Amino acid sequence: MIPSQLIRKQRIIIFILLLLIIMTSIIAIGVGSSSVSIDRLIPTILGNGTFKEDFVFFSIRLPRLIIIVLAGMALALSGAILQALTRNDLADPGIIGINSGAGLAIAVFFLFMPIEVENFVYMLPVVAFIGAMATAILIYIFSHQRKTGLNPIHLVLVGVGFSMALSGLMVILTSGAKNEKVDFIANWLAGNIWGTDWPFILALLPWILILFPYTYIKSHQLNIFGMSEPVGIGLGMHVEKERIVLLMVAVALAAATVSVTGGIVFIGLMAPHIAKGLVGPRHQLFLPITILMGAWLLLVADTIGRNILQPEGIPTGIVVAIIGAPYFIYLLLRSK
Amino acid sequence: MFRLTANDLTVGYDKVPIIQNLSVTIPDKQITSIIGSNGCGKSTLLKAITRIIPYEDGSVLLDGSQIATMKTKDVAKKMAILPQSPDSASGLTVGELVSYGRFPHQSGLGRLKQADIDVIHWAMEVTAIIGFKHRTVDELSGGQRQRVWIAMALAQETDIILLDEPTTYLDMAHQLDILQLLEQLNKQEGRTIIMVLHDINQAARFSDHLLAMRSGQIIQTGSPGEVLTKEMLRNVYEIDGEIGTDPRTGKPICITYDLIKQKEQHNNEKKIHSAI
Repeated sequence: MIPSQLIRKQRIIIFILLLLIIMTSIIAIGVGSSSVSIDRLIPTILGNGTFKEDFVFFSIRLPRLIIIVLAGMALALSGAILQALTRNDLADPGIIGINSGAGLAIAVFFLFMPIEVENFVYMLPVVAFIGAMATAILIYIFSHQRKTGLNPIHLVLVGVGFSMALSGLMVILTSGAKNEKVDFIANWLAGNIWGTDWPFILALLPWILILFPYTYIKSHQLNIFGMSEPVGIGLGMHVEKERIVLLMVAVALAAATVSVTGGIVFIGLMAPHIAKGLVGPRHQLFLPITILMGAWLLLVADTIGRNILQPEGIPTGIVVAIIGAPYFIYLLLRSK
Repeated sequence: MFRLTANDLTVGYDKVPIIQNLSVTIPDKQITSIIGSNGCGKSTLLKAITRIIPYEDGSVLLDGSQIATMKTKDVAKKMAILPQSPDSASGLTVGELVSYGRFPHQSGLGRLKQADIDVIHWAMEVTAIIGFKHRTVDELSGGQRQRVWIAMALAQETDIILLDEPTTYLDMAHQLDILQLLEQLNKQEGRTIIMVLHDINQAARFSDHLLAMRSGQIIQTGSPGEVLTKEMLRNVYEIDGEIGTDPRTGKPICITYDLIKQKEQHNNEKKIHSAI
């Protein structure tokens, strides 16, 4: 029943986004400190690079690139799920506080657990998930009212409150800690992507490989969440069960990602919103565009962040916020 | 035959019972309307019967099985619900929204089979919205949109359809239009229709069976002639009404009414006037 011209439009947009991602990747690798020049890229990929080119490409730039693409996709998908469940275009794992919950759990883990580097990487998404899930449950309890259900504006306000309180807690926790640990947490809060090595990709990948297809299969249910709850019940959907499972998926995606990338907000807000604007509210059409859009936006933000203000650059999370905050305000004003 | 019954039903929000020990049977293949004043529990009854809100005690039976223990998809194959002022994501076409009615009959990814498409087509034809198939729901007027929702309920292919105030927010012409559509579905397609209505004259005109409610209890049931009486109006709405016969339909009709308090005041004023 989906109009066929829309399906064609979706294919074209997917193709354009893939092209944009590839082009931005080439530029990202070709500019800035420790880069591989564009004309040397193909020889290096084919294994004909110098030792330095090989090292830069395979050990520094490629893993970072993959992490960013995966993180952008996961954050965008998490946002799309949250927007569907709350029937609220303002929902984003960062805005409603889930990221901060993950961050706090990571900070506690980082400060108080003896760290063995090997296991640390693979434990991170799990620790982040526990923190994020606990936060999500609290936010849900605080913003859910028995008569009106989940009020969208209420949810955002409670979420922002939680997000600030938890970030504050992180700062308090760090006040007694050693300098290097403080640096880590400050960087995390700013969304400075730090987990840019192959093990981090391996830590992130299983979550994404399972949760992406699962969410896509649930497109039909997500569509029905777009209608008021009684309609979903009338159609014979297990509204409560589906909501809890999908909420856990959204939390897991966001938590696994931010455990590696730090607190990045607004990707989950912008990517689904732009995708819906392009092809409409059907999840089976806009979810693929959402994840590609998320990947591309984060890639662009990271490339800008790394090359502006030499030599250190500015954290990716801050670049995303500079683009995302005005977008959020625009949506907020429009949603009255 | 009664396929849908409620026994000793108690429903409440926050432990304040709105409905207490209510029992009712819904006659098959007829139009039943629930009437009553604001806050009497008529919408709550409909929501409890349709499992939109849980009930605390008692049971709702559909074909002899408790609704609470049935698979929700199986319930959705037997009864469709049109809630009060439903809404959908903007940008969906009429055809797509109607196709969502197939949800209980689909499995897995929700692909539509040819049989599903035929039913969707039929539902749009019966409700005379086939011409808007490719338009988005947002572009339609209130009356047309209500037809789309009714088509979605029809696409569920259920024998029973429940509607919560289907004419709210519509103008007089569109109210009649929707009620005539429901009458047609009842007469031609044999659907059992249960609805909550505010307008007692419309309820009397289009229903075979009326349920009059007051403070969580059904206080009167029967044909419009039996239920729409001076006494019922006083008991249920606290109004003093004149009942006549609709010259066109032959159904009972409330021609005019006063609030009972006002009427006393009116009489007092008359007395004062005559005394002077």
